[in-house]
Amino acid sequence: MGAHCESGTVTSLLNHAGLIITEPMVFGIASGIFFGYFHKHKSFTFPTFIVRNRPGDMRKNIQKRLGVKFQTFSFREEQKGIEKLDELLNRGIPTASQVDFYYMDYVPSWERAHVNVHFMVVIGKEGQEYIVSDSYFPKPERLNEESLRRGRFAGGNMSPKGFLFYPSFVPSEIDLRKPIIKGIDKACFNMLKLPVPFIGIKGIRLFAKRVVDWPKFARDTEHLSHEVMKINILLEDQGTGGAGFRFMYATFLQQAAEIVKNEALKELSAELMTIGDGWREISLFAARIGKNRDLGPDKLRELSDLILDRAEVEELFFKKLKKVLNRKLLCLPYRAMS
Amino acid sequence: MKEKEGFVDCPEQQMILYVEKEDGQFGPMQTGSYITKNYIDDYFEKRNNLINKLKEQINRGEISPVKLFMILEDLTPKELSARTKIPVRKIKRHLLPVHFEKLSEELQRRYATVFNITVEQLQKAVPSFEPMNAELAKP
Repeated sequence: MGAHCESGTVTSLLNHAGLIITEPMVFGIASGIFFGYFHKHKSFTFPTFIVRNRPGDMRKNIQKRLGVKFQTFSFREEQKGIEKLDELLNRGIPTASQVDFYYMDYVPSWERAHVNVHFMVVIGKEGQEYIVSDSYFPKPERLNEESLRRGRFAGGNMSPKGFLFYPSFVPSEIDLRKPIIKGIDKACFNMLKLPVPFIGIKGIRLFAKRVVDWPKFARDTEHLSHEVMKINILLEDQGTGGAGFRFMYATFLQQAAEIVKNEALKELSAELMTIGDGWREISLFAARIGKNRDLGPDKLRELSDLILDRAEVEELFFKKLKKVLNRKLLCLPYRAMS
Repeated sequence: MKEKEGFVDCPEQQMILYVEKEDGQFGPMQTGSYITKNYIDDYFEKRNNLINKLKEQINRGEISPVKLFMILEDLTPKELSARTKIPVRKIKRHLLPVHFEKLSEELQRRYATVFNITVEQLQKAVPSFEPMNAELAKP
C-alpha cells in the first residue's frame, strides 16, 4: 500500500526496478506538496481545492531529478492502447496506468468519484481480468477488461488517453542530495512565489476567504453538508498520508535531514508535523459541522479562521525552509543504490 | 500525530497515514478511514434523500434521468459533454424529459457507458446500489 496513487505507483515501480527509495522521498524530491483553491471551474460542480502538484508532475520531476527514464505511451485508438498493455504484460513488465477512478470496480461505491488522474500498476492478466496493484488497497485486485477500458479511455478534464508508463532505465548509483535540494526549492517556490492568486499560500488564504460563500452554491442544506464534509475527504481520505500531504512531507524532511546531515531540516520536519495536526483539526471540524448540519455563518467563519491560521503558519514555515536552502547545506554525499 | 492517535478500526476502508512512531521517527501506518467509520450512515442518508428528491422531480416531469445521474456522479455539463462526445447545448436539452424521450439508442448507450450503468437503468433512472447502505455498496 502507498499513501498516494502517483507517488505510491512511482515508488513501487522504482523499487521493483531495483532502486530502493521511500514514498516520502519520491514525494519530496518531486515537489509534491502544494495548495490550490478553485472557487469556480468549468470541470467542478462546486468550489474545491487540491493539495498536491499537477498530476503527472511527480513522475516527470523524478525523471528529471534522479536521471530515471520512464517509457511512456498515449493512445488515440483504444484498441492500440489495449494491445500495448497486453504486450507489456506478456513481456513481464509491470506497467502503470492512468485511469478514471470511478470505473475501478474493486473500489467500494461510496469512495468512487470521476477523477481522471488515478494511477495504479497493472501486474498481470488472467483470462478477461487484469490484476492490478493499487496503492489504496493492501493486496492486488482484479478488474475486468471492460472496466479497465472505460477507466483508461474516459473523456473529460485531464483525460487519461490510455496513458501507460514504466521505468526503462534506472541509474546504478544516485546521489540524492541535489534532487532533495531541487525538490524543496521548487516546493517553496510553488507555495510562496507562483504568481497565481489561487495557488500556494495565496490559495489557502483565498480558500479561507471564500468558504463562507459556499452556501450560495449549494442546492440545499444536505448538499452543503456533503461538500463541507468533503473537506475531510480531500485532506485525509483521497490518499494524502494525512493532513493534506503535510504528514508525508514532514517525513520526507526528516529523511532528507539524515541524508544531507542538516539539523535545521529535522526541526522543520517536526514543525510541519504540528502544522499537519492543525489541518487535521480542520478535517475533524468540517466533518462534525457537516454531520450536525451546523452550517450557519458563525460556524463557517470559524472554519474560515482555522484555514486562515494554516495560511499564516505555512507562510512562515516555507520561508524558514527556503532560508535553510539558501544557507550552504553541510552534507556528505549519500548514494541510493540500485 | 502520534501513532496511537492514528489508529481507526475500519476494515472497510484502509489507508496509509504518516505518524510519529514511539522512537520519534516519522513513518507509515496502515489504518482505517475516520470519516467512513464515523459518518458513513450520514453519507448514505443524504444520498438516498437526494435520489428520492431527484426521482420525484422525474415523476413530476421536471428533469430527465440524465440530470439525475449527472448530479449523482458530480459531473458538469461540460465534463459530461467531453466524456460522451455530445455537444453541451444538446446535453442541456437532454436534461429535460421531452428531449430525453427522443434520444437515439446510440446516445442512450453513450450516456449509460459514462454513468457506468445499463441503458435500462438509464431509462428507468435506477442508480446502482439502490437504496444505498454499506453492505450493498461493497464491490
